[in-house]
Amino acid sequence: MTLETRTLVLISAAVVINIVAGQVVRMLNIPLYLDSVGTVLVAVLAGPLAGGLTGLVTNLIWGLILTPVAAAFAPVAIVTGLCAGWLARAGWFKTWWQSLISGVLISIPSTIVAVPIIVFMFGGVTGGGPDYAVAYLAAVGSSILKSVAFSNLGVNTVDKSLTALVAFVVISRLPIRLTTSYGFFAHSRA
Amino acid sequence: MAAWESYAGKGLLFTPGASVMHRANPLTSLIVTLWAISFAAILPVAGTALLTLAIIAFAFACGIGPTTLKRLAITMIPFGIALFLVHGVLVHAPDSVRYGPVSLSRGGFHDAAVLFFRLAAMLAASLLFVSTTHPSDMLKSLDARGVSPVVSYLIASPLLLLEPLSLRAKGIRDAQQARGMDLSGSWRARIGALPAMLIPLIALALSDLDHRVLILTGRAFRAHKRRTVLGAPPDDPGQMWFRRVLAVVAVAQLGVPLLWR
Amino acid sequence: MALIDCDDLVFRYPYAERPVLDGVSLAIGAGERIAVLGANGSGKTTLARFIAGLLPDVAMKAERGSVSMEGRPWPAWTIAERSAAVQFVGQVPAQQLSGCAFTVYDELAFGPCNLALPEADVRARVEEALTICNLRHLVERDPFTLSGGEQQRLSIGAALAMKPRVLVLDEPTSNLDPESRDAFIEQLAALPASLTVIVFEVALRPSMALASRFLLFDGGRIVADGGASDVLTDPRCIAALGETSVARAAGSVRAAGGWPAGTPLPLTVPEASDAFAEVRRALRR
Repeated sequence: MTLETRTLVLISAAVVINIVAGQVVRMLNIPLYLDSVGTVLVAVLAGPLAGGLTGLVTNLIWGLILTPVAAAFAPVAIVTGLCAGWLARAGWFKTWWQSLISGVLISIPSTIVAVPIIVFMFGGVTGGGPDYAVAYLAAVGSSILKSVAFSNLGVNTVDKSLTALVAFVVISRLPIRLTTSYGFFAHSRA
Repeated sequence: MAAWESYAGKGLLFTPGASVMHRANPLTSLIVTLWAISFAAILPVAGTALLTLAIIAFAFACGIGPTTLKRLAITMIPFGIALFLVHGVLVHAPDSVRYGPVSLSRGGFHDAAVLFFRLAAMLAASLLFVSTTHPSDMLKSLDARGVSPVVSYLIASPLLLLEPLSLRAKGIRDAQQARGMDLSGSWRARIGALPAMLIPLIALALSDLDHRVLILTGRAFRAHKRRTVLGAPPDDPGQMWFRRVLAVVAVAQLGVPLLWR
Repeated sequence: MALIDCDDLVFRYPYAERPVLDGVSLAIGAGERIAVLGANGSGKTTLARFIAGLLPDVAMKAERGSVSMEGRPWPAWTIAERSAAVQFVGQVPAQQLSGCAFTVYDELAFGPCNLALPEADVRARVEEALTICNLRHLVERDPFTLSGGEQQRLSIGAALAMKPRVLVLDEPTSNLDPESRDAFIEQLAALPASLTVIVFEVALRPSMALASRFLLFDGGRIVADGGASDVLTDPRCIAALGETSVARAAGSVRAAGGWPAGTPLPLTVPEASDAFAEVRRALRR
């Protein structure tokens, strides 16, 4: 795949968006990640591979500025970008309700990839919100794997659907000059 | 080496210094780190505990001991507590023994210890790497080895663009608070504030794209396959061979647990 | 033969009703210092980009006509060739940065390194740019922490480091505070003499400081072409861009009947002191 310079520049901006959006939700004390808005944006404008790359770079940058632990979750971010791109190619980002559904759909493979990482590398515990649910479920008899899967799927579904919605709203407001310069976006034009 | 004043900051975990890790070629540091991570993946819990201590000791020798210990503690302490709670106390295991209101599982504690020290070792090794290697040097080393400028751009550009946008985010938050947005209000209010903060920020981040493409093309970015690199960290055949050997060992040693069985 | 030749250029933005460039033709010789004057929103920036070879691109192409340098239309030039022939500096300082240089030094070196020049050449070019643009005291700074005026000087420096033959400036001072604007205008005087410079402006003072030839851009076309006294006194120019305060003052003296016949209206303060001395002599008689 030859990456055009304009795709590179988009990915770079999207990585920054991912990180800053994550900071904003923390500022507002909202218990979501919302750190894939840029990834979905790139996936819809420039395709699955560019989207996956955005996810990878985001986690590498997190590793350099926050904690190297973030790099372990790179596969999750990559899968998010790939799925968003595939859904966009199938025309599932043309309207706001389609985008919402796409977000829900994306959360499934994203959770499937996250769960083994959380369970086998981190013992089911991430130091984040879902831990409480995991602890509760474990206490009432669920296995670690099931506890992690359910609690993360719950958070992920809300998180990714909101992410996809925000990405859709942003794209719908971008100037035509910008969106037309990304050929892949033709899949999502209503 | 260039003056470090402008290199510090930008929220990087990098801390300037003159230790052997700082002076080593960034690629060498990287391979050493990856070897240590691979080693931590195969060692039993006693081994990883020792490895963690060894890395922390090395960090002190490199002059970044206190910072490394602090960063390690910030992640590992809450994680450790939760880990031991979930595995040792909450999960129902066949070897659980009741002590009054709680039941403790020896096997669970052992599992928790394995995970804890393995992660501690991997995190300590990675922290050592990112604390002693500035991304700019890392990227120049890659450039010098002929890696595409695309890689360098994708890491450098977000790092540099992050701070201006992050500051804008704080500015928008302050402006919204001045207009009455309550950060400690109901979750409904906070979710409602989200679009007002996010959408302008994202639009801002995307507003410059056309111009950046023009500037990059105007300065002949990617016009040639390889470009000149100024001030690349020094490298020598000794380090290159060391890296090759260590890389092979790092991959090969992953097979040891299989042989053990 | 002209260095840069623009031949009947017609361009319309996608989904736009009217073309923003409606048959632009002009010829620029080597070593000229030219100001293209046009009102805000007239399409100057679009024309500037075509002149500098930044347009046409993947998404936007001219309907008719093209811009050529040394007889070859811009699309026939490779990226490397074009970057060494012409450099473009835009309006908003922060937008002129590559975004991947950690220091001012790296920013200046970015272009020459991309051209795969030998290290000694790159360093020589950076040193020259640091001197010409007065950036030496900023050399280790992060470009994004500089002030607007400093960033604008940096982008000129980065452009000069490519050793272009033509420099295209698009309203280079409009986003600067007055002090930086003055400093920038002084900077223009330090540019290499062999450099062809085309500045697209809406303000009169910077253009007059730099240019000896003036073109008026109005209604999508070049409607006037000549020296300062011809173009700046053209009523269309005055309507679009206003006058210098000196010219306005002289104009009111003339309207009141006190202007001696045969004395041209001054445009700048130095011209004014001579001209008004003439007026005083005429009044005494």
